[in-house]
Amino acid sequence: MNAGIPSKDRGFPTGEGERARVRLAVRRPSVTVRNYTNKRAGTVITALASAAVIALAGCGSSSKTAATGPDTGTGPLTFAVFNPFSGPDASFGPEQVAGCLPAAAAIQAAGGILDHKQVSCKSADTRGDPADAVPAAEQLIASTSGFMGVLGPGSDEASATVPLFDRAHIPMFGDTGQKVFDKSSFNYFYRITAPDDAVGYAMALYAHQKGYSHVAGVFGNDISSQGTAPTAAAGFRHLGGTIVTQSIPLDQSSYRTEIEQVIGSHPQAIMTEADPQTSGTYMAELRQLYKVIPIIGTNGTNQPPWFKAVGGAIGQANLATYYAGAQPYAPVTGAPYQEWRKELAVVAGKVSQPVTQWEQDSYAMAAWDSINLIALAAQEAKSTNPAVFNPDIVRIAGPTPGATVVHSFAEGKQALAAGKKIQYVGAVGAITFDQYRNSPGQFEIVKSDGHTPIVTYTANQVAAAR
Amino acid sequence: MTASIFIPSVGFGLVTASILALAAVGFTLQFGVTNILNLAYGDLMTAAAYIGYVVNRHGGSIALSLLAGAAFGALSAFLLNRLVYTPFLRRGTKLFGMVIVTLSVGVIIQNTLLAIGGATFFTYNFSVGSAVHPLGFVFNTSQLMIIGLAVAAMIVVQLLLTQTRLGKAMRATAANPGLAQASGIATDRVVDIAWLLSGLLCGLAGVVLVLNTTAFQSTTGSGFLVIIIAAAMLGGVGRATGAMVGALVLGLVTEISAAYISPSYKEIFAFGVLVIVLLVRPTGIFTGAQREVAG
Repeated sequence: MNAGIPSKDRGFPTGEGERARVRLAVRRPSVTVRNYTNKRAGTVITALASAAVIALAGCGSSSKTAATGPDTGTGPLTFAVFNPFSGPDASFGPEQVAGCLPAAAAIQAAGGILDHKQVSCKSADTRGDPADAVPAAEQLIASTSGFMGVLGPGSDEASATVPLFDRAHIPMFGDTGQKVFDKSSFNYFYRITAPDDAVGYAMALYAHQKGYSHVAGVFGNDISSQGTAPTAAAGFRHLGGTIVTQSIPLDQSSYRTEIEQVIGSHPQAIMTEADPQTSGTYMAELRQLYKVIPIIGTNGTNQPPWFKAVGGAIGQANLATYYAGAQPYAPVTGAPYQEWRKELAVVAGKVSQPVTQWEQDSYAMAAWDSINLIALAAQEAKSTNPAVFNPDIVRIAGPTPGATVVHSFAEGKQALAAGKKIQYVGAVGAITFDQYRNSPGQFEIVKSDGHTPIVTYTANQVAAAR
Repeated sequence: MTASIFIPSVGFGLVTASILALAAVGFTLQFGVTNILNLAYGDLMTAAAYIGYVVNRHGGSIALSLLAGAAFGALSAFLLNRLVYTPFLRRGTKLFGMVIVTLSVGVIIQNTLLAIGGATFFTYNFSVGSAVHPLGFVFNTSQLMIIGLAVAAMIVVQLLLTQTRLGKAMRATAANPGLAQASGIATDRVVDIAWLLSGLLCGLAGVVLVLNTTAFQSTTGSGFLVIIIAAAMLGGVGRATGAMVGALVLGLVTEISAAYISPSYKEIFAFGVLVIVLLVRPTGIFTGAQREVAG
């Protein structure tokens, strides 16, 4: 998560301090969005989508050409939430929807973008599987009129689908943490959430500051977990520690042999990310064969299902005592945050319940900012053609001399109408894109409720572990 | 790799093999008699685990949870055959069609569990007991119970198949249903009993599996299905003894390869062994050309 506005550094360890922190979402499958794929229908959809892409290719290109002039259209505009709504990462989709719906509703309430009065969010289920995600992406591109941008993809499907959206000139704000996108050559890919490798460094920094000299790094062999593992290990070694790393297959009936190997090094703590069942089994057996030791998790483990599985395995009291998890940080104070909460309240009945779970969710907040950025870029460029307004996304996020700072689409639209230049500062703070359209942010370490802060790190502090 | 890790890993392999054996023997027993590749088997295991969980959370002991899971497994497998699979067979649905039917049933069970239990994880309320170190192995009381249960179940199944009239009838039905019926064997009843027995082992395996994994969800059993089928195939589909040995081989290979090479490769080694064995003996370790239920 990006939080460019420097907020008060709580140092280490933090005391009461400010309450500014981000709670990662309570990840629950959504029942409020339309899903477009089905695993078992994947092949059929692939065929149909491919045919549709071929059939519509000509239409798409001609409309793009036609739209490079002044935008005089009035048709509906669509933002897509392209994330898993089913499968192991089913919680990701609803989180993005919780950011999309408030922004779309507020844009519509402000009169829409240019003369396009109707703005909506459309969900596509990737199932967290590239095999399902590719046809879903192709279908979205082929069938969505007024396609403004994408919230996603996530780590599960980013490598397979980012090129598709980029080729179609659709701006996307990825919630993937993959390192490969740290230096992306895709002109339409943006990221204002923290990359996994940075989370790994934050874990290493925390372990080092706690005084651990030798730890175990146990990560699932899935894409997301493996994105964090290398930098957690490299960072800890860089800080002078010793780490035994282990990549474990998911959802096995036992990990006792793996644990026997790890405990030979007598680790003082374990840095980890894996799915809840895997972690539950591993931690229970670690407790049996060794003992309960401090656990340093990630934003992937700062989730209620993970806490339930592991808490059940080692005891809730042990979890509360021994767990700390790194995650992106965003301030939950100030005008942008208040605007976010206000707009979220308007659509409270339309997002996954309870709505309160999204109020301090950094990923939902980033999704909200992403929609606002795209919409304001289109407004400024006076075009809803992504190929035209894409460069404006970076420009309106960055500081410009004399620019009016705005925190919502309505404010930005008003300022633009008055002939002013604008800088958008959103719920995640100021957004400063680097040349690869990534915006570095801050991190915090939280307790086993997923939101109570222990310590906050600036990007520079985390960089010290690199 | 030293012996200090090798011996414990063999012990851990025995625990894995015990769970696998319970499931694989149930799976192969039913397939041998009915010729239905029941891909809903893993989901039935999960459903039985949920039943055991409910019993456990209402104050029931682990023994009671095992009984409840086994009873549920037996009953649900029996009803599944009578109410779903048999009507399809009577309409002439062939082998591939039945595979799709069982796959669909599995998806229905899995999503029903998801709808009822929610997208979350569950844990039994139980203590794994104290650690014991016989002969350099490392076990806890719960694991010894799992091994003991599996050994007892295997002995009972073996005796049933080889020493009883029912076992003989099951073998005859598996070998040639028409001839068995002509010889006076009530094949319908034999099939019912095969489903009951298979379901009972399935239910036991489901509860035992989640006792071992500690945390489980609606997809836990289905994730275990591939290795169950692998164990059944390794020993020779339809062979109870073969499934036991297949489970033992896979359990040991899995854990020892994790100890010697890397945990990431343990499934590769397990399935590599399966492929090599099937290359040499396409019908499995314990069978000739003909499939049958046998000890």
